Order: sequence, then structure tokens, then C-alpha cells
Amino acid sequence: MKRNTLSYKVRQYLMFGGVGTALFCAVVIVPFIYGIYLTFTSWDGVSPHKPFVGLANYAAAFADHDYWLAMGRTVIYSVFAVVLINVLAFAMAYLVTSGVKGQNFFRAGFFIPNLIGGIVLGYVWKFVFNRAFVAIGTALAGGEQVPSLLASPKGAMFCLILASVWQYAGYMMLIYVAGFMSVSDSLKEAAMIDGCTPAQAMRNVTIPLMRSSFVQCIFLSITRCFVVYDVNLSLTKGDPYGQSIMAAMHVYNTAFTYKNYDMGQAEALILFVVCAVIGITQVMVGKKGEVEA
Amino acid sequence: MTQNEKAAAAKKRNHVIMMIVLVLLFLFFIMPFLLVLINVFKDKADIVTSPLALIGAHGFTLKNFPEAMAKMDFFNVFKNSLIITITSTILTILVSAMTSFVIVRNGKWKMCSAVFALMVASMVIPFQVLMVPLVSVYGGIFGILNSRITLIFMHVGFSVSMATFMFHGAIHTNIPLELEEAALIDGCTRWQTFWKIVFPLLKPTIATVAIIDAMAFWNDYLLPSLVLTNKAIYTIPIATQQFYGTYSTDIGLVMAALVLAMLPILILYLFLQKYIVAGVTSGAVKG
Amino acid sequence: MKKSIKKLMVLMLSVVMVIALAACGGGSSDGGSSGGGAGDGTSITLFNSKNEIQEDFENLAKVYEEQTGVHVEVYYSQDTVAAHLATKYASKAPYTINMVDAKDVYSLGKQYGADMSDCAWVGDTDYAITVDGKVLGFPTCIECRGILYNSAAIKAALGEDFDPASIKTLDDFKALLDKLVAAGMATPTAVLGPDWSLAAHYLQQVYEEREDPEAFVQALYKGEADLINDPKFNALMDTFDVLKEYNMFKAQGSNAEDELVHQAMSEGKDAFQFGGCWEWNDLLTYDYNGPVGIMPVPQNVQDDYTGKLVGGGSKYFYVDASEYTSEADQAAGKAFLDWLATSDEGKTFVSDTCGMVSPFKSNTVPCTNDIGKAVKEYVDAGMTVPNYDYDPDDHYSKLGIEMKKYLDSACTREELAAAIEAYWSSTTPVEH
Repeated sequence: MKRNTLSYKVRQYLMFGGVGTALFCAVVIVPFIYGIYLTFTSWDGVSPHKPFVGLANYAAAFADHDYWLAMGRTVIYSVFAVVLINVLAFAMAYLVTSGVKGQNFFRAGFFIPNLIGGIVLGYVWKFVFNRAFVAIGTALAGGEQVPSLLASPKGAMFCLILASVWQYAGYMMLIYVAGFMSVSDSLKEAAMIDGCTPAQAMRNVTIPLMRSSFVQCIFLSITRCFVVYDVNLSLTKGDPYGQSIMAAMHVYNTAFTYKNYDMGQAEALILFVVCAVIGITQVMVGKKGEVEA
Repeated sequence: MTQNEKAAAAKKRNHVIMMIVLVLLFLFFIMPFLLVLINVFKDKADIVTSPLALIGAHGFTLKNFPEAMAKMDFFNVFKNSLIITITSTILTILVSAMTSFVIVRNGKWKMCSAVFALMVASMVIPFQVLMVPLVSVYGGIFGILNSRITLIFMHVGFSVSMATFMFHGAIHTNIPLELEEAALIDGCTRWQTFWKIVFPLLKPTIATVAIIDAMAFWNDYLLPSLVLTNKAIYTIPIATQQFYGTYSTDIGLVMAALVLAMLPILILYLFLQKYIVAGVTSGAVKG
Repeated sequence: MKKSIKKLMVLMLSVVMVIALAACGGGSSDGGSSGGGAGDGTSITLFNSKNEIQEDFENLAKVYEEQTGVHVEVYYSQDTVAAHLATKYASKAPYTINMVDAKDVYSLGKQYGADMSDCAWVGDTDYAITVDGKVLGFPTCIECRGILYNSAAIKAALGEDFDPASIKTLDDFKALLDKLVAAGMATPTAVLGPDWSLAAHYLQQVYEEREDPEAFVQALYKGEADLINDPKFNALMDTFDVLKEYNMFKAQGSNAEDELVHQAMSEGKDAFQFGGCWEWNDLLTYDYNGPVGIMPVPQNVQDDYTGKLVGGGSKYFYVDASEYTSEADQAAGKAFLDWLATSDEGKTFVSDTCGMVSPFKSNTVPCTNDIGKAVKEYVDAGMTVPNYDYDPDDHYSKLGIEMKKYLDSACTREELAAAIEAYWSSTTPVEH
């Protein structure tokens, strides 16, 4: 049996990797390429004809005022959510690695929101904001009804951010916990012996050594926040007056609700490019100054 | 007080503060669940008037559960979610482990490195980019949407790249080549070597992949919502969303439906908590 | 060691096989809208767009299956009707029987609907929709819009019986509201927040309560209508302002959840709300303290249309006759509608179970719905203004947003008028 003929290689590859590669191509690669092709055609979702229209869909997407408003909201939402998720996650990771009693219990507890899908979480929070918080607020205001946070555009944005922070902080905490554990105690002790306060040791030793954890968490939270959909759908559904529609929901609506599949696909690709550029830039900048432990 | 005693006292004080902060945070994390839980045993009218009361004017009731279960066809959607999650997870593991094996052991073949590079690159593609073409290819051209098998097939296709990447790392660093060579010399074929030697050694990674993918499949909404339109094959997230749309005016039922949607995974978490946290951590750190 | 691995492998593979087979079997038996579902009988699908009767409809389908062996799977969607059905056609899996709004019969029904001219029920109603000589729309019920009032609540507050006929103008209405406030009912009205109520029901009256609604809509399309100086628009918006002013859920505005509004009306915590007979089932789920009735929307500018309820035949079924529905399923769909109109179970379902006003003359089952009873009196007395049925599909979702802003005082009446005019003039006219 010859081991370096092409047919041997192909047979070997197909035997092990055939199914996986085929599925991967069928679900990811082919639709991706076909999707790019779709953006250059005019297609209503039903007709078998897909006339070529050049860049018309991109022109329409760039001219779609609502899309860029949604994109702007997504950026604002992502900035707040990413910062808060990571600050909270880091703080929680610090607390649950500090040796207090029951730290495993807390770790497990903080992780619970991740077990539950975005749709269900959104409805749970909707109830909390619309009913429980209104009841508390009304009681505090002496019986006079207070509006739900979800009733105003800014309030709805705040609710989305809060729900997302709550959802993802526990997950990112686990990554930071792994980061804390990888920094050896002896290094910290050495720094303290050299006269560092614990805060200084944290700033000058632990945090620089955990840089890769930061890069990773920020990357994960950016890429997730940028395409947020499930929570957006169940918590606000875009209300009030479409003022909380994020980019992913706008793309979905353009394609599936208003049946502009071609334009929706172009908007999806733009979203992908924006998301990829931000994510990759962040990783490159982050990796640059990484300290090898 | 000596220096040591002072330090010990300070440490103790710090721990007390940290404990308080942790408890407050913990309350924040479980508060939404508690609010749902105290309302699920109330009459609809009581939830509307007094969402914070432990027991409403109409008293304690269990009636929301059977009604919500019947209306969302709970056992059926639970079964669907279970079938889809288990099958997709097992298939993802088998297929990805095999693919990564051939890629790692034949890293010099151009096609292997090309496929691997493609898989890694594809991980940044958000689902939104693929949803329209998926519907148009599998719905418009082939007309095979609306079946559990199509959904399973898509779940596997989407998760194969990430899982292959994780198995790739595990085989690369943890499985000594010598073991396989010895087996080959003993007369095993490559196929046998993989299943008898390599696959069993991948157990920790298998656990990680299984936990991460199973959670993702169980909770996924957008893909199933595009694929499944027939009530009989809905999964839990879709059934919950549909239920909310239909019965949002009956808040008692909504509460019960939310509890039903969350309960299975919370119970599982109670038992497998250690493994799930460990699995997610190692997956997240590798990924 | 090796043995256990082999065992594990065998176990895993067999699990996969079993599950794949189960998925296979399940997938093929219940995949597709018209595949043989339960047992050996026919299986058809029905789309219900009245969410308050979804459960009753599912129960009715069970009764029907017991009697005829035909399985009817009942679906509901919270998306707008036209958009949801378009999705079903795009994925080549339409429902067999579709409950739509009248306007959709002229578009979707015209394109896909089966001719029901020879069905038994046709001669029994004045409300069927006929397009190009074909009977395409089966009327589910008669519905009217107006102001709901809880007479028990008013009596409890003022100590005297409430006579809806005493409220003719907005000034009368406002005087009564002030009296209620003085008597201790601080917020005697409530406003429903959803787009269908605000735009498809309330705003819609602006087009309907005039001599030639079609001409007015055409003027809107051409950008020639002057809403802000239109007496009807202003009269209705003046009334809307009053409903807003005394609104129990002012703080929540358009975000107020429906059940808050319904509970307040049902239990008599407030006295008035804009709505219609379909809200009956929702009202009954609380500690109902009625009776709740319906009266015309009071307006200060009196004309031929004030003093009447707006409405008529509502929620129409058409049977899909596209290439995706087999002849046999079409026949099964028609048979179901025949049964719904002519059988005792069907009549009882409409008038008694759901408390709807039946559009069929032969249905003598008493209507159990207090609001429905009042509606029937208006209909029988000819005191109704007909529906305008040719709105564009996105009318209520797009203008619903504008009405919500107005309800939340996030825009002025001038801005609302301008937004409505801008919507119409940028929309392609609906052919009919």
C-alpha cells in the first residue's frame, strides 16, 4: 500500500474527515458563498429568477437610515455591555478566588444565567421590569404609578444592557477565574515582599499576567453583544416605537418580515464585516503587549 | 497587637466585606428566578395586582402548571429538544474527533491544512450572515426544512469547526504518536487505532465539547425557529416563544411555562454542576 | 480496559441509531402540513388569528376529530397575519384553512383561495366575501368597535344607573368622567397599547366615519388629504386625548400590558375603555363585576356617523387552493367550515363558547357575551358604520408606532397627522 499517492490520501481523509467536512461545507461554506452571490441579485424569496443587480443591494443598505440607527444603538449597547460585563466578571472572579467560604457555591450560582436560553431569560426579565419593578417603584412613590423602564427608549436600552450583563458575567467570570489561578502565588508573594501593597501587586503583577484572559473575554463579549438577537426579541421586541431594534433584529426584519432577502443579506454581510474588524483589531492590539508567564 | 495579629484581623475584616458583596451579588443573580418562582403559584389576577406578594388573595395554586403543560405540549417539545440535543451532540463529537484526527496526523497534506484553516476562519462568521442563504437553499431549492433531521444536520455542521478545533488541540498535545505507532505495528488498521487508542484518550475533551454543544443546542432559538414550523416538532425555546405570543395575556400560564422551560436544565445543573463549570471553563479557555 | 471502550462505543452508536430512527420516523410522519398525521384519517391545518379563542378552537378541533376522524391542527402566530402567511407560502407549506382579516381575502384569498360558492353555508349569511364572482371568505363573526363601559362600576361610584344614550358628545363624556373623578374614581379610563387597537381599530375610524371612505383613502395615497384640518380626525383625536387624560395607566402609556387594562375593566376599577366585543373572553378571566356594555365613541362634531358603532363581518376564513394543498385537503377544509356554520357544535362554539355574534341567520344559539349582545342590537337596528377593508398590510404596524408615540405624548397631533400622511403617500395603493 503506497502512502503518498493522492488517492490514498484522499481515501484516508474521507474515511475520517469526510462526513465532518461535508457537513461543514454544506452548512457554512456553501451558504456563505451563496449568500455573497445573493447580495448581487434581486430576489423576493419566492421567485426562481434572481436577476443580477450589481451593487444595488449594498447601495440600498447604505441608504437604509433605520439600519444605521440600529447599528449605532448596537455600538452604544455593546460598549456599555462589554465594559460592565468584564468589570463585573473580573470583580466576581477576584472575590471567588480570594479564599472566602463557599466560593465554589458562588461560582456555580453566578453561572446559572448561562444555562438558560436568551428567549426565556428575556421573558423573565420582562416580567421583572414591567411588573416587579413597577410594583416596587409604585410602593416607593407612595402609590403613584411609575412607568416601567421598558416604556422609554433609554430605559429599554438600559434594560437590555442589564439583562446582558447578568447573562454573560458569570461565564466571563469563569475565564477570569482560570486566569487568576494561572498566576502563581509565589509571584504575588514576591511582589509583596518587595514592598508592594496588595493593590499594587494586583495592578503590576496579576493583571499584566492575565492579559490573555482579558483579550479573550473582551473578544467573546464583543462578538456576542454585536449580534444580540434572542434577548432583544423577547425582552423588548424593538419597542418602544422600534427604538430598541439592534442590528441583528433589523437584519432579520428586513429579510424575513419585510421580505427583502437580498437587502437583508447585504446588511448581514456589512454587520459581519464590522463585527470581524472590531473583533480582530481588539485581539491584535491585545496580543501585542501580552506578557509571557 | 502584633503585626501578625493586625494582618489577621484585617484579613478577617476583608473577608467579611467580601462575603457581604458576594451575597448581594448572588441575590442579584437569582432575584429574577425568585420573582418568577413566587408568582408561578398564584392566580393570574393576583400576579397582575400584587406581583411581589408571596401568596395572593386567591391563595396558593398549582393550576398554572397542568394548563401550561397541556397548552405548550410540554412532554412533546421536551422530547423533541432531547432528541435533537442528544443526537446532534453525539454526532458532533464523533464527526469532529475523526476529522481532527486525520488533520493532526497528516498536517503536511495541503488539503488538511486548508480545511483546518477554513474551519478556524469560519468561527467568526455570525449566524445572521448564513440564515438567509440557508433558508433559500434548504427551504427554497431542496424543500427539506421542517424536519428534525435537517435541524440536527445543521447543528452538527455549525458546531463541527469549533469542536474540531478543540479536538485538534487535544490530540496535538495530549496523545503521544508512539502509542499509535505501536498499535499499527501490532497489526491494527488506522481506523482501529483511532477508535481503540485515540478516542478513549480524548475523554476530557469529549466531556467539554459535549457540555458546551449540548447547552448551545438546547437553548438555540434562531436556527430552529427558521427550520421548524410544524408544531409537532417544536423545541422548548420555540414553544416558549410561541406560547408567550399566544398567551401573554395569561401571565400565570406564562410564569409556569418559563419555569417549565428552565427546570430541566437547572435540575441537571444541580447534579452535574462541577463538571459543567469545569467543562465550560476549559472550553472557554481553549476556544 | 479495551472491553469497556468497545462497550461504550457500541452503546453510543446504538443510542445514535435509535435516536436517529426515532427522529426519522417522527420527522416523516409529522413533517409537512398535509402528511398523514394521526391515525389513518386526513390531517389538515388551520390558522387562527383570534388569540383569545385559541384554546377553545383547539378543543373544537378535538370534537371534530372525534366525530369525523379528520385531524385539524390549530396554529396561532403573534406576527401580523399577512406577514406570517407570506412566510408560510414562501416555505411552500401554507395552512389549509386560514383565518384572516377582510383585507387579506382580497389579496391572499384572491390569489390562493378556493371558490366556496357551492357550500351549504353561503345562502345563510349576508357577510360572505365574494371576489370576481367567487365566494372566497367565510365570515367567522360580526364585530364592532366602540367605547366599553362597566355600568356596575359607574353605578357604584355615582349611585345611579348609567344610561349610555345620555352620552352623545365629548362634552357629555367629559362631564361624566369629571363626576366619576369627584366621586373618587381617580382614573376612570384606560387605553390599550397594542398597534392593532390603536391603529387598526381607533385610527381606522378616521377613514370609515365619512361618506366615501374610498375617496378619502385615495386622497391620502395621492398626498392630497389634509388631516390636521380634517374635522373627523380632530373630533376622534379630541376624544382620544380625553381617554388619555383620564388613563389609569398613564405612566405606562403604550407599554401598559393588555391584562392590566382588561382586569381594570372586568373588575370595575375603571369605567371606560376603547375596544370591542372580542375582549369579552379576556374580561371573563378576572373577577368579573359587570355588566360591561358598548356604546359609540362620543364626539363633539355630530354627523351621520356619530352615534353608531363601527364594524361588521370580521375574521374571514379562506381555504387554500394553491399547488401545495391537495384536492382532498381542500375538500376537508371546506367540509370543516360547513360543519362550523351548520352543525349544532359549530353554532354553540361561535355563540356560546366563544361568545361571538354569529353572522349566520340560522344560528339561534344565544350569545353569551354582554358586549356581543349590545353589538347585535346595534347591528339589528342598522346603527353601524361598515369597515373599510382595503388597508395596506403594514398599515397597522407602521402607523401603530405613530399612534403609540401620540399616546405616550412623544409627538404632537400635527406630527402624528404628518406621519400618517407621509405613510400613505409613500405606500403603493392596494388594488381591489
